[in-house]
Amino acid sequence: MTKKKHIAIIGGGIAGLEAGSVLTRQGYKVTIIEKENKTGGLLNHWSSLFPDFSLPGEVLARIQPENPDLTLIHNTCIESIKKENGRFELFDKRHLKLYADALLLATGLSVFDASLKEEYGYGLFINVITSSDFERIHKAGQKLLTAQGDPPKRVAIIHCVGSRDAKVGNGYCSKVCCITGVKQAIAISRMLPECEVFNFYMDLRLYGSKYDALYLEAQKRHQIQFIRGRLSEVSENQDQSLQLKAEDTLQGRPLRMQADMILLLTGLEAARQNENLCKNNHLELDENRFFKSENMQYHRNCSRQEGIFMAGSCICPMSVNETLDSARSAAIEVDNYLTQKER
Amino acid sequence: MKMVVQQLADDVRLKEGMNACMNCGICTAVCPAAEYFEYDPRSIVVAVQSGNEEKIQQLLTSDTIWMCGQCMSCKTRCPRSNCPGIIINVLRKVSQATGAFVQSRLGRQQYLIMKTIGANLLRYGYCIHPSAVDIQNHPEQGPVWEWVYSNREEVYERLGANLDREGPGAMRKIATNDLLELAVIFEQSGGTVLWQSIETHSKNKAIELGLVDSQGNPCMDLYTNYLLNEDPEF
Repeated sequence: MTKKKHIAIIGGGIAGLEAGSVLTRQGYKVTIIEKENKTGGLLNHWSSLFPDFSLPGEVLARIQPENPDLTLIHNTCIESIKKENGRFELFDKRHLKLYADALLLATGLSVFDASLKEEYGYGLFINVITSSDFERIHKAGQKLLTAQGDPPKRVAIIHCVGSRDAKVGNGYCSKVCCITGVKQAIAISRMLPECEVFNFYMDLRLYGSKYDALYLEAQKRHQIQFIRGRLSEVSENQDQSLQLKAEDTLQGRPLRMQADMILLLTGLEAARQNENLCKNNHLELDENRFFKSENMQYHRNCSRQEGIFMAGSCICPMSVNETLDSARSAAIEVDNYLTQKER
Repeated sequence: MKMVVQQLADDVRLKEGMNACMNCGICTAVCPAAEYFEYDPRSIVVAVQSGNEEKIQQLLTSDTIWMCGQCMSCKTRCPRSNCPGIIINVLRKVSQATGAFVQSRLGRQQYLIMKTIGANLLRYGYCIHPSAVDIQNHPEQGPVWEWVYSNREEVYERLGANLDREGPGAMRKIATNDLLELAVIFEQSGGTVLWQSIETHSKNKAIELGLVDSQGNPCMDLYTNYLLNEDPEF
């Protein structure tokens, strides 16, 4: 029997875990290298998943792979990849050196830093929070309260913060924020039935199956109001409530609104380490700084470097179910590559 | 005659100001003029983007394109890097060049602005110059200004300015050579042609309104008076 081939996976979020689990079941040896002290990635930070409000923990519980052929390395960030004699050598900042016959990138996403959009006041005005902040509050089982400790009477949810915005260098759509906005609006309304919730959007991109039903529910059952207009700026009143300026573009009128809290739906960006990983090999980033596929239709999981594959939202922003699909299809590509190489 | 769409495109600034609009409304939201007027920069950009002759022609003859204060706040916000303020500039130029401006109240005021700020600029090298704000034509300045104007040499001296004199300092006389240079720039960059166009079309408008002397020539004093007293339509 030949020695088992070894696959290294960078990133222990759900993409890396699911791909690792499929590949070990196919008979490969897998090492997952995770930069944090815990696997699960961003899912550890979310309170509930759209569109069904299911718990991230349920997903994580299903995909935590246990297999003698799977090794997990924590607290390690791979800094460079080199191809040597048909194999890959991986290095971290310290002394780690890992060899692999194939490499799977599952580096995932990072969340846009909302304080860069200074005119929205995150980090300046105490009652401006982000969608990530809201998930943390919700997950802790707390009620949404203003900084003064009162339940807000009106919350405005702002779409496209750090998304579809040439001013911050993110021209692309982060895709999952619209539905997150609908989900969080409903969550606020359930938490605080007296609270008015407004969503300021430019286009509602509810692309997924059952997302529109959630939009309907938000409007019908929770009286969430949707205003088509992008926020130009936020200012703080003396009592630390907030004033918004937007245009109601469907009415063609400038609009000012008072709100007790503002929730910014932050866009998603490629992980910063991706750039480093492209040195000394043929990996490439696309115009949005995500990993570029060999062919975006037919070979979405294949990178520009033979033997290196991608899974999940290091390709582009993805929902949880899309990420899992992507991880499984990446596993098939890795298997194809290693089997063909053997022949 | 050239289509207006083409005339807009001939101005290199259109390329600078117009990328592609996705109708988000952030420009209108931040626009100070939109707070005071029935004014929506977004819809102006959309009209230009449509390339529709009729809609653009309507803009050229409308009050709206003269409401922008050119603060360029829109430029700092647009997520597609458009600049409605620059697009407005191009519309204004084509309106001045084709004479469309005389068809709106705010457009007709181009004549007044040209005769004051335009003339000041070429004569003094300043848009507004103390000597140009005479009491006869500026009763709105009130009695304090009347006193300042009449004693301007002493007043500006006391304030540390160097009014109308050679050498450095605020309100100093602009050297003749520099004024000549300015005139050449004005000529070369198309200012003179626009000036003449504003003058010609305004005279024609005066005739149309019956503001003429005994020979039937346009009487621009009457026209000026007419413009100063024209009722706002909004």
